[in-house]
Amino acid sequence: MLQRVWALALVTGKEGIRDRSLFGILLFALFVLGLNVAVAGFFMRDLGKVTVDMNLAALSFAGLLLVFFIGINLMAKDIDKKTIHLVLSKPFSRGEYIVGKYFGLVLLVLSTLTLLLLFSSATVAGVHAMYPAYFGGFTWSVYFWAVAFIALQLALLCAIVVFFSAITTSSFITLIFSVASYLVGVTLEEVLFYLKSQAAAGEVVASQTLRSVLEVVAWLVPNFAAFDLKTEAAHGLALEPVRLLTTAGYGCGYILVLLWLATLIFRRREFN
Amino acid sequence: MCWRRGGINALMLLVVVPLYLGLSSASWEQRAQVRSTAPPGYTMPAAFSRVLAMGYQGLLSDYEFLRAATFYGDRSVKRQQMSAEDWDFFAYSLDVVTDLDPYFLDPYILGEGLLTWDTQRYAAANALLLKGMQYRTWDWQLPYYVGFNYFYFLGDSATGSTYLMQAAEIPGSPAYLKTLAARLAYYGGKSQTALLFLQQMLAETHSEALKQHMGKRLLALQGAVQIEEALQQYRDTNGADPHELSDLVRSGYLEELPQDPYGGQWTLLQNGRVYSTSKFVDAKPETK
Repeated sequence: MLQRVWALALVTGKEGIRDRSLFGILLFALFVLGLNVAVAGFFMRDLGKVTVDMNLAALSFAGLLLVFFIGINLMAKDIDKKTIHLVLSKPFSRGEYIVGKYFGLVLLVLSTLTLLLLFSSATVAGVHAMYPAYFGGFTWSVYFWAVAFIALQLALLCAIVVFFSAITTSSFITLIFSVASYLVGVTLEEVLFYLKSQAAAGEVVASQTLRSVLEVVAWLVPNFAAFDLKTEAAHGLALEPVRLLTTAGYGCGYILVLLWLATLIFRRREFN
Repeated sequence: MCWRRGGINALMLLVVVPLYLGLSSASWEQRAQVRSTAPPGYTMPAAFSRVLAMGYQGLLSDYEFLRAATFYGDRSVKRQQMSAEDWDFFAYSLDVVTDLDPYFLDPYILGEGLLTWDTQRYAAANALLLKGMQYRTWDWQLPYYVGFNYFYFLGDSATGSTYLMQAAEIPGSPAYLKTLAARLAYYGGKSQTALLFLQQMLAETHSEALKQHMGKRLLALQGAVQIEEALQQYRDTNGADPHELSDLVRSGYLEELPQDPYGGQWTLLQNGRVYSTSKFVDAKPETK
């Protein structure tokens, strides 16, 4: 079974790498990294923070483009072009198909991210060498942790894409649902804590229903802000192992549940 | 058919492309004009921008900081006076930047450098620095600047030295801080104090524009220190202050009054401090 899943993952990943838009995304990320070198000099002291901000933003944004534009296509193509009949006529269970496709997406994301990480490390090291005095709190280990959690965030997003591809018939609807889930997940924490603090201060009164709704949403949508270690990386703040472990576990748990649900739904699905 | 295509190509090359190029540069010039007279703009409150940043709060803070800094830089290069509204925008922007990323050092430094000297908003500068102290607990510079503001601008030596001692206790702070605190207690609010702080700030600044900005102020303060030293000698000998500062030159304590690089006249304040009518800020043409 593992062999079959791996074979499908490899095919999916390779297919993604062949996509021409990958070059566009890579070029965009490289452009931001280059821009970083030019822009760093505009700041006074915290050049290290600005450099890390720009590098991590380039990596995570390139990852988002990758999942939304290439990832969704990879999932939808099989169904749109009916090649799924060909795949499912082979000795493949539908669950294996879902898991294989998922790992293919993750493989694509990871390989692209690794390549970008190489360039980004070179950029950070370059700017570091140019302005060694202005990299106060910077530490490589926190930087790499931040990148690892960007990867986990993207893996989570891949699971969301797979889930919506399994239940919808059109790649456009998958795109809309995935983007919406991402937007909710990334802003939820800020809104929830804001409402809590304002309600505690007595400024917002009518928000009780809204808060209850949002608290339910918080169970359904992953809190993407939890995986965001950009501030910590920018200032080299200490990371507690418990926090890293909890967050990683939370992410992996969400992925497993989502893939399980996707499999359940996909098994019952009929293809014309 | 062929001549028609040639005609279209010629028309495009000779008329439309030059027209586009001309209009494009005209539009850019127009924008420059609009921007120079436009109100400072609007910075979204952090409660909203933190959400709308979509996880890129750090990057947004960099952008907003750059926007505030270039806004000031633009007015300063064109020698346009910053109105109260402009300063409101500037101060608020720095507040939002530090809400987006409270660990970001640059806005605190820029606030300290400009809000105090250029617009006398000491409370705003101190509030900003105190916010930073909650987060950058390892950073001795922030309490150091709060201490300086209390000493030099607010004339509160007691509070000032508390903050300075707080700064001296933070690991990694320079060894001279404790001596500086003692010296400050002795000099009080004199120009020598400001000179020491400014030299320190200058030594740690990377931005060329800010270095130039502070270098000029350093020159002015050096002039003030020179006069104050002569003044002290005059007091020691004559037991009283001279009527006016030019007396120092007449009685031979100074060869000549140093130039104020900002073009002001030196005056002797009631508290015995030497100051200039320029207030160490560039004389700016009146707007509107």
